[in-house]
Amino acid sequence: MVDFSNQPTMKGFFAPTRFEADVYDCEVIGKIPTELNGAFVRLGGDWLYPPKFADDSPFSMDGYISMFRFKKGIVDYKGRWVKTPRYKADLAAHKQLFGEYRNPFTDDPSVQGLDRSVQNTTPLAFAGKLFTLKEDSLPYEIDCNTLETIGPYNFHGKYKSLTFTAHPKVDPTTGEMICYGYEASGLETNDVYLYTINRKGEVTREVRFKVPYISMVHDIGLTQKHVIIPVYGFVTSMERLKEGKVHWGWDSTKPAYVGVIPRDGEAKDIRWFKGPERATVHTLNARTEGNKVILEAPIFDSNPFPFFPPIDGSPWDPQKARAFIRRNTFDLNSKDDSFTEEKLFQMNVSDLGRVDDRYLSLPYRYAFTAYTDRDRPFNEARAGNLRGRVSNCYGRFDLATGTMSSYFAGDTHSLQEVCFVPRGKSAPEGDGYIMGLASNYAEMRSELIIADTQHLEAGDVARVILPFRATSQVHGRWMNEDQLPFA
Amino acid sequence: MLTRRDFVAKLAVAGAALGAFSMARGAVLPVEASAALGRVRREVVPFCEVVSFHMDQPYIDATGTAMPYRPPQGARSAAAVAHLSEEAFRRMQCCA
Repeated sequence: MVDFSNQPTMKGFFAPTRFEADVYDCEVIGKIPTELNGAFVRLGGDWLYPPKFADDSPFSMDGYISMFRFKKGIVDYKGRWVKTPRYKADLAAHKQLFGEYRNPFTDDPSVQGLDRSVQNTTPLAFAGKLFTLKEDSLPYEIDCNTLETIGPYNFHGKYKSLTFTAHPKVDPTTGEMICYGYEASGLETNDVYLYTINRKGEVTREVRFKVPYISMVHDIGLTQKHVIIPVYGFVTSMERLKEGKVHWGWDSTKPAYVGVIPRDGEAKDIRWFKGPERATVHTLNARTEGNKVILEAPIFDSNPFPFFPPIDGSPWDPQKARAFIRRNTFDLNSKDDSFTEEKLFQMNVSDLGRVDDRYLSLPYRYAFTAYTDRDRPFNEARAGNLRGRVSNCYGRFDLATGTMSSYFAGDTHSLQEVCFVPRGKSAPEGDGYIMGLASNYAEMRSELIIADTQHLEAGDVARVILPFRATSQVHGRWMNEDQLPFA
Repeated sequence: MLTRRDFVAKLAVAGAALGAFSMARGAVLPVEASAALGRVRREVVPFCEVVSFHMDQPYIDATGTAMPYRPPQGARSAAAVAHLSEEAFRRMQCCA
């Protein structure tokens, strides 16, 4: 018997959907730009069965991949579970067999040793293949046309880490992918394996090093010369896992460390910088200017996640769980381990920011992310008491001038992560479309927003309407027609 | 006469109001409500967890200090049919 009635956060718009879907020739309000040919692929989670423990993290949700396939102005939608061994075991048992996030000690004994991955974080197109990524395990290969799960992938046996980041970086100048795994040698190890994989999918370089303490290394920065590795506040231990707790807790006494390693360097070449309590979950972009390495990212003052609580028993503080776009500068000529921090915009934003990927690792001007504009209208009668608590706008932030242009989604909508799609291969930086899923709380449905970056204030050029609530997304990526063997 | 449609709509509104009130941490019961429930005046309801909302996702605020999240009214709350006439509502509910 499946019963979600005692799950307080899984109500209304956030109730599990639990179905696979095909919608052909989706309803569209407006006009789909004909230059958009490819797919917007989303990865997130849905609960096949209720979590085994009430305090488990939403990061344990079963992976669900969905795709808006764009072809000559027509959009088809497809959604499928990522059918991992964990999904299959739960389905066979008709219940949740797996316990707390990244804690196998809390699992049902019948699944001991089974791959616990749920594959719910980032979709990736690389070397002609579609992958799902989850940072506690290897990538899973997915059929890009059917979205059926093929299985785990280790790059012809050359990728040795047991884990693979949800945020690999593809260098636009070489096509190489810089990727890594943390807790790479196994649960509760402080090893990071850093890889370079060429555009054919062949591992060309591996460097192994250790981090100052075991922590979530969710994302990195990439420049043409360096890799930047943020380590911040989340802590874990085998004792903690044996006590049955969720993998991460927050330790506010831990300094933020940031490692800088040359792309052609070895473990001995890594340099660790140290700063005050911060959390850098996602990065925007990075670059090397002379002897300075610069990272820009939406950075939180403290712990952003309520489901990974402070280890000292103090309450999670939502006021500190706000991200601001900041610039960290690491001076490789300095004699000490400090670095500088600048707050580039005074408004707090969603930390799910993006740039024009053609400028990744290079000097750039524009960043895109969602934010909350409290002055915009919100229809509480139709959409609930969420005023001021939803991301109702996408912003194009001009880092050169400190200005911003803004897209507003509507008075009953909240926006998920933004994605930027260039108007064409030779379009100037930031010229194109922003794309992202909006939750329409009044109509209880999801809508894919497409807006022209040159005219954001004018509203969207098209909305693709789904006649249901799509599963919640972590990350979504645009994949061009030529990146994957689409039918 | 209380129609079935009106009853469903009123039930939804009452349920939402009760839910929002019961989730408020440390809420002081109104004097009238206290009296009606036979409790001591100005009794403080024990602290309790609330469902709140952060980064576009609901979460359980164990401190009870965050603003409780009240799910939007939708089809399940009868708001979608509240504007219909009784006749139109019965046409929709063809099996009723």
